[in-house]
Amino acid sequence: MQVAVNGLITGLTIAVLALGFTVTYLPTRVFHVALGGVFTIVPFVAWACLSIGCPWYLVVAAAAVTGVSLSFACEAFNHRYLERKAASAGVHLVSSLGLYIIIVQIITLIWGNQPKVLRVGVDTIFNVGGLVLTRAQVLAVVSSTILLIAFYAWLRLSNLGLQFRAMSDNPTEMSLRGYSVVRLRLLSFSISGLLATVSGLVFALDIGFDSRGGLTMLLLAVVAMIIGGRQSFWGPLIGGVLLGVARAEVAWFLSASWQEAATFILLAIFLLIRPNGIMGQKYRLEAEA
Amino acid sequence: MNYLLHLLIYLNIYVIVALGLNIIVGYCGRLSLAQAGYFAIGSYAYALASVKLHWGFLPAVALGAGLAALLSLAISLPSWRLKGDFFVMVSLAVQVVILSAIYNWYRPDAQLGTWLNLTNGPAGISGIPRPDIFGIKFDTIGSLAMLATVTAGICLTLGALLLRSPWGRVLQAMRDDELAARGLGKDVRLLKLQAFAIACALIAVGGAIYGAYVNFTDPSIASLDQSVLMLCMVIIGGMGNFRGPLAGALTLLALPELLRFLNIPIALAAEVRLMAYGLLLVLMMHFRPQGLLGSYRIE
Repeated sequence: MQVAVNGLITGLTIAVLALGFTVTYLPTRVFHVALGGVFTIVPFVAWACLSIGCPWYLVVAAAAVTGVSLSFACEAFNHRYLERKAASAGVHLVSSLGLYIIIVQIITLIWGNQPKVLRVGVDTIFNVGGLVLTRAQVLAVVSSTILLIAFYAWLRLSNLGLQFRAMSDNPTEMSLRGYSVVRLRLLSFSISGLLATVSGLVFALDIGFDSRGGLTMLLLAVVAMIIGGRQSFWGPLIGGVLLGVARAEVAWFLSASWQEAATFILLAIFLLIRPNGIMGQKYRLEAEA
Repeated sequence: MNYLLHLLIYLNIYVIVALGLNIIVGYCGRLSLAQAGYFAIGSYAYALASVKLHWGFLPAVALGAGLAALLSLAISLPSWRLKGDFFVMVSLAVQVVILSAIYNWYRPDAQLGTWLNLTNGPAGISGIPRPDIFGIKFDTIGSLAMLATVTAGICLTLGALLLRSPWGRVLQAMRDDELAARGLGKDVRLLKLQAFAIACALIAVGGAIYGAYVNFTDPSIASLDQSVLMLCMVIIGGMGNFRGPLAGALTLLALPELLRFLNIPIALAAEVRLMAYGLLLVLMMHFRPQGLLGSYRIE
């Protein structure tokens, strides 16, 4: 039970990152690898702010501003121009990979590649109904849940959310009907920056961080998205939570070093049997191309 | 002089790997992240065969290449149906599984080379003997460079013959329009199996030469970063023809040498080099999406 709950909490952070990825992938079809860079840089910014003695709300604000503006800049200075040239999905992916490499190397140049932690010493522990939770885990659950509820409410209830869903259905028709796709794209990159920021901070607070893990974590999020189903905004949430629990159980029953392999075997099974994911509707893969 | 020979050996390794990867990326039209895994398979097979079985250079390399060709089924079977982002994820899955297998297939108490301890885990395999062919030992760096050059030459010739043959043309036709190729009665599934097997075998040959040269192999050569670097090489050099991978291998080798002239401190050199790669990737996608000398643009 304890293992499942721990997995559930890690899964929630994966789900937030996966949602961040989906928010750009669905409307713009950009495979936003650089989001892994955002996930990596945010804890370093927070760490730098903490070490000069900022209060926590300033730290969070600085991290959020960095994350959002970095993701925004990816669209404003790179993908927008590629899109104007009608670049293919592969070109977007490769250039985003280039951006990721640049971001990570800048981080390594400034802060080095030693693992770091955001908190000092042993975390405070709460006992909730026979389960042991650390303060970092409680924070993770609370902040992820609030963010997820806010996002889904925005998506469901606001006019902008409606435009957003329409755009992920069919961007071309959206622009034909006179909506500004350029503005919506910038918005989608900003939102995914914000989601990655929260995920990065929470993850770093719980486990610690270094300059290398971003890409692996992002690909984990992509796996979560595929498992959950990529046509729906609910897919990443379900996939992330499922993946988190599965990984925790594998680590408990086998060994932590088989976690990655188990994750990707799960992905392979899903791609073979149900390539559209749990929430996906039926359609032919070739029709996508 | 020794330094130049060292560079020459690395150039040959890169050329072989780029040639193999170009078949997957440039001729099958699929971005892959699994290459470092196959590179490591070649390297480990060579290491085990020469350390434990005392095989010579040729059979050990052949074992690595054969094993990689067999295991290429792991990415070529999914390529029957998947392309684009999905194929990238599957190849990544293969890479991660190979890396975990290399990390975990060992027991501290078992002897190296038995079924319980095949890879020696994180410590890697050291003390790989210098290659020998029919009793001739290649133990100076000069002779090793010669061996690497001859191997690369053979690979290049075979590659050129294959890709210019009718088989190579069908491969290009399949990449450009799979449906049309199938419509003309070409067996695209068999074609993909063959192409991936040849590509992975070539990459494994590169890995084997690497193992023979540095005398040591460990799991870090199968990491995701290595895969990304190899992919960079092919994308920057150019895809879909024969010149591209050569240009990519040369660029990969020349970039650190150029940075050396800029007087960057040694401690920062690795980061700056990788950053230059990232920058090249981004700029290349804007201004020359087919790579320096390539003739095919990624889909």
